Amino acid sequence: MFDYDARPVTPQVVLVGRRASSLGYELRDFLSRNGVPYDWVEIDDADRVRQLFDGDDIDPDRLPICVLPDGRRLAGATVQQVANGLGMIAAPLLPEYDITIVGAGPAGLAAAVYAASEGLRTVAIEAVAPGGQAGTTSMIENYLGFPQGISGSELATRATAQARRFGAELLLARPLVDLLREDDGYVARLSDGTEVRTRSVLAASGVDWRRLDVAGLDELLGAGVYYGAGPSEAVSCRGCRVAVVGGGNSAGQAVVRFSRYASRVTLLVRGSTLGASMSQYLVSKVSELDNVEVRTGTEVVGLEADTRLRAVVLSSRDEAGLTRLPLESLFVCIGGVPRTRGLATANLATDDAGFILTGADVTASRGALDKWPLARAPLPLETNCPGFFAAGDVRSGSIKRCSAAIGEGSMAVALVHRRLAELGAE
Amino acid sequence: MMEEAGNGGPTEDAVAEFAGLASDEHIDESASALERNGITSLVVDSGEQARDAVRSILPIGAEVFNNTSRTLEAIGVAEDIERSGLYQPLRPRLYQMDREMQAREMRQLAVAPDFVVGSAHAVTEEGSVLVASASGSQLGPLVSGAGHVILVIGGQKIVADVGTGLRRIYEYCFPLEDQRARESYGVPSGVNNILIINRAITPRRISAILVKQSLGF
Repeated sequence: MFDYDARPVTPQVVLVGRRASSLGYELRDFLSRNGVPYDWVEIDDADRVRQLFDGDDIDPDRLPICVLPDGRRLAGATVQQVANGLGMIAAPLLPEYDITIVGAGPAGLAAAVYAASEGLRTVAIEAVAPGGQAGTTSMIENYLGFPQGISGSELATRATAQARRFGAELLLARPLVDLLREDDGYVARLSDGTEVRTRSVLAASGVDWRRLDVAGLDELLGAGVYYGAGPSEAVSCRGCRVAVVGGGNSAGQAVVRFSRYASRVTLLVRGSTLGASMSQYLVSKVSELDNVEVRTGTEVVGLEADTRLRAVVLSSRDEAGLTRLPLESLFVCIGGVPRTRGLATANLATDDAGFILTGADVTASRGALDKWPLARAPLPLETNCPGFFAAGDVRSGSIKRCSAAIGEGSMAVALVHRRLAELGAE
Repeated sequence: MMEEAGNGGPTEDAVAEFAGLASDEHIDESASALERNGITSLVVDSGEQARDAVRSILPIGAEVFNNTSRTLEAIGVAEDIERSGLYQPLRPRLYQMDREMQAREMRQLAVAPDFVVGSAHAVTEEGSVLVASASGSQLGPLVSGAGHVILVIGGQKIVADVGTGLRRIYEYCFPLEDQRARESYGVPSGVNNILIINRAITPRRISAILVKQSLGF
């Protein structure tokens, strides 16, 4: 083995639990996406458990147990507790910021880099991990400047380091609870009570996966059913049968990743062709993989499970009746619903699907400017609240591509400068 | 690190010859010789001082790869790099990358860090540095890939000449490293690649911290 394959020499986080559990999945996903190496130990692995806990009794009802590098044990561990235990929770360093960015995906990180590099006091709030949805993609092959492609996690890692190097702060692992107007600026409050005062806001919170409406699915989350295709589960799918639901680039990238590990990957697409919503390079790649089957015009209508998922029941437009597909894991990568939790308190105008209106769309939306206090119209990425901008997937009308989000995040910073000048700060 | 038979550790003769700490005079002579060969050298009394010296060389925020090394573990340098938050440590980042999808990124990251911090298996009184590696992955960055190289070397690793250094690797280091590899990875080690640095031509690229204390093997 190469030296760089060896585990870090310092103590690692150890998680003990049942792999088929949503809490365990949530922790694995959180650690993996934040670049924290961990060991997963199944509770049934008696030798490892005995060795780890030195014979101490453990409560099987309080899983997963997280053993921190300093030896502390967290029974029934939550993401927030683990983040705290790892020292990932930091308080804001400044009493006020020029720009607060909600979300650290491509749009948010681009804004953080540009804002901080231009001397703005910059903080980004991220509930889970830097990188957003793009951070979980296995390989982005059409991103400018990377002819061999770059993985989403690597792009996020580099962007995060770049933002920090310019002085941007990142407040991780705490979701935004509310965001209220205060004087000419705003106050953002996080789930742990942390308050951030700011003169402008950029909503770059992206999208969540759209829920798949199939009876019993929620009970199987983490037990064979997963939203998104984060890197934490790929290795555990070695030799397994996997299905991915979705027709977009995220689904395509998930298929490419799982094809390296799983014995069989089935891509389930509701539409009649792949090319409708997936980039052509991914369509070609998926089509060339020997262990991948693409089923178009197909929907999941039922699940079979015991303690975990065992099979899905499919309905196809081209076939009469239902078919049964035995598998170990189902990854749902469909569409996206706007992540506006915590932003709603700002009374932002949105479209019918909940995406945030900006610029001319605000002006054209009946009643959206009723409380607009300025003589000028909203700037291109500005919402119906002065100094409150939106960029990337959460913005109504945005192009749902990584590079487009990065462009919007960068552009938003120029507009923030105009707003700050208006306030007399520049 | 040529495959040898599984072993019970180095022979008594090898331990007697290679485990003992060199005299202050020999360590100082080796440091001077290293300087003459273009390797910045520093002699310190203890592991703690070596740890401070590494901290003083590494810039805050630097991208750093720490080679697997008993020496670095023993004196806390590995922990400083991986967990202090002062640097961008590559090893934890590499460990959690996807071996199937990110193999190319891993190779590129590992081969050319801004800083590599490691150790050596022998330093000669003539100012040569010897490092052995089973896979060879440690050696590329030391030769030219890394922007800067910091080597922390215990005082028991000073030898008279390159020939003795090679014997130290085969007769003393290898049996110990083989035991470690079998315990840690479940595979034997091997003296498959040996790097001998006789001279560094880029000024200040390589720093050697010689410690008047036995560290690692």
